[in-house]
Amino acid sequence: MSATAVTAPPRKRSVARTPGERSAKAMRPWVVLASLAFMVVLWHVVSALAGDNKSGEAMVPTIIDIGGSVDRFADYWRGGLGVEATRTGGDITFMGVVLGFAYNVGLSMLRLLAGLILGIGVGIGLAVCVSWSRVLRDIFTLPGHFARMLPLLAMVPLFSLWFGNTEHGSVLFVAFTSFALTFAIALTAIGNVASYYAQFAQSLGASPARTYLEVVLPAALPQLRAGILLAVGFGWSAVIASEYLGQEYGLGHIVQNAEFFGRTNLLALVALITLVLAAVSLWAASRALDWATRWAE
Amino acid sequence: MDGGVATAAPAIELRDVRKTFRLESGEEVVAVDDVTLTVPEGEFVCVLGPSGHGKSTMLNMIAGFAEPTAGEVHSGGEPVEGPDPRRGVIFQRDTLFLWKRVADNIGFGLRAKGVPKEERDEIVARYLRIIGLESYGRAWPRQLSGGMRRRVAIAAVFANEPEVLLMDEPFVGLDYARRATLHQVLLDLWERSRPTVFFVTHDVDEALALADRILVVVRGQVAMEQRIELPRPRSVSDLGHGDLADLRTRILEHLELGSRTA
Repeated sequence: MSATAVTAPPRKRSVARTPGERSAKAMRPWVVLASLAFMVVLWHVVSALAGDNKSGEAMVPTIIDIGGSVDRFADYWRGGLGVEATRTGGDITFMGVVLGFAYNVGLSMLRLLAGLILGIGVGIGLAVCVSWSRVLRDIFTLPGHFARMLPLLAMVPLFSLWFGNTEHGSVLFVAFTSFALTFAIALTAIGNVASYYAQFAQSLGASPARTYLEVVLPAALPQLRAGILLAVGFGWSAVIASEYLGQEYGLGHIVQNAEFFGRTNLLALVALITLVLAAVSLWAASRALDWATRWAE
Repeated sequence: MDGGVATAAPAIELRDVRKTFRLESGEEVVAVDDVTLTVPEGEFVCVLGPSGHGKSTMLNMIAGFAEPTAGEVHSGGEPVEGPDPRRGVIFQRDTLFLWKRVADNIGFGLRAKGVPKEERDEIVARYLRIIGLESYGRAWPRQLSGGMRRRVAIAAVFANEPEVLLMDEPFVGLDYARRATLHQVLLDLWERSRPTVFFVTHDVDEALALADRILVVVRGQVAMEQRIELPRPRSVSDLGHGDLADLRTRILEHLELGSRTA
């Protein structure tokens, strides 16, 4: 038998990957789980060491305490649908908890949605007008950029003084923050649209309005994406902050009340709920934007 | 007046047109230097010249994208005062609207003109057939090759039935085979409606294959002008022999001289 040459199997070549590919592939489930487990253990250690506050509540509640505080949502049901409010003598019931949770989360979401639609709409609309008209550019560009530089959350008391305990106050505050975050990015995105798109549209007979609506805005959308996602993410902070100072219901009001009574477990629970809501809304917004820019190369 | 027969106004007319640009350094650059030029209706003119010698600037002024510093630009007897759908433009860059499907790109100008949907769909379907992309109407531009995209851009402009077609190096960057295909598509479409064409190119063979008349622009002026009587389509062997070969040599000499003096 003749000897056969045995060749070693080719060694795997290390292929250069982009940072994006590397970070996507780097998410190994066991590391993520280990990291979560570590955080839970750390939380419990801190909880055991931190002691109680003046109200007799744990400074850092345990995770079981946090979960147990969910029944406090019954205190934030306004009453109705066959469930009496606890403030008028009603008992804490499962339905009360569910209704209290749904009502407050729903209200915060509605305020957020209304504010985002208004703020992002005005931000993009004004950026279009400003890029269209020189007069409007001279008038609005500087104030628009100033709005971006303001310490946004610190403006809550001002809105509270202006609008008091009204729905407008919360919605307008969210609208203001999302406007501030969207306007400057929209202005840049529109400015970056290559002029030959508009020239091509005009040479095909498109009016300036059609050119903006059907050509410039869609072309700017991939760049606008960052501003919109920023506004959605920050919107949750804005709505909680606005409700904290001036609303009778909503997650921000629960935070304010929980702080007043030193209920750290409820505070932590609302923070977790907000975290989940923010993550879900960012995911939804991201998917919607993916769909809207599915044509992009 | 002799006989009282009205003659049609030229499709394109440049009268003593000059265009200058000021650089950041303050220096003034003359892009187009007192050019007077007439292109009659239905003529296919190819404009050759070294880069930066004013060909595209001329085209931009005819399109209405730029104003002359001095002189007048007219189209169909009217002064050019801005972009107009009667003057369609095909750019060197890929200008297809990426966010519109292929059929919507072709129908864009028709929709802007207010053509009813049924009629528009019919016209779009006809142009998709002509350019051989009938099954791509619902595709996004990103799903097409470079050559297919150029075909769609050409169809989008022709569907709008312009009187004047301005083309700024529309086939640059494509290989020889794709160019030849696109030349045929262009000539097929042109034969149907016979718009006036002002075609800017760097490719001498492309100009020889397509033009009724060739202009060589050097340093912002028309340095050479030559009519080509040979009927189209012109084959590769036509370009390599006889009058066209001589013309080719003369054009290259002008271009070489222009490049040296630039």
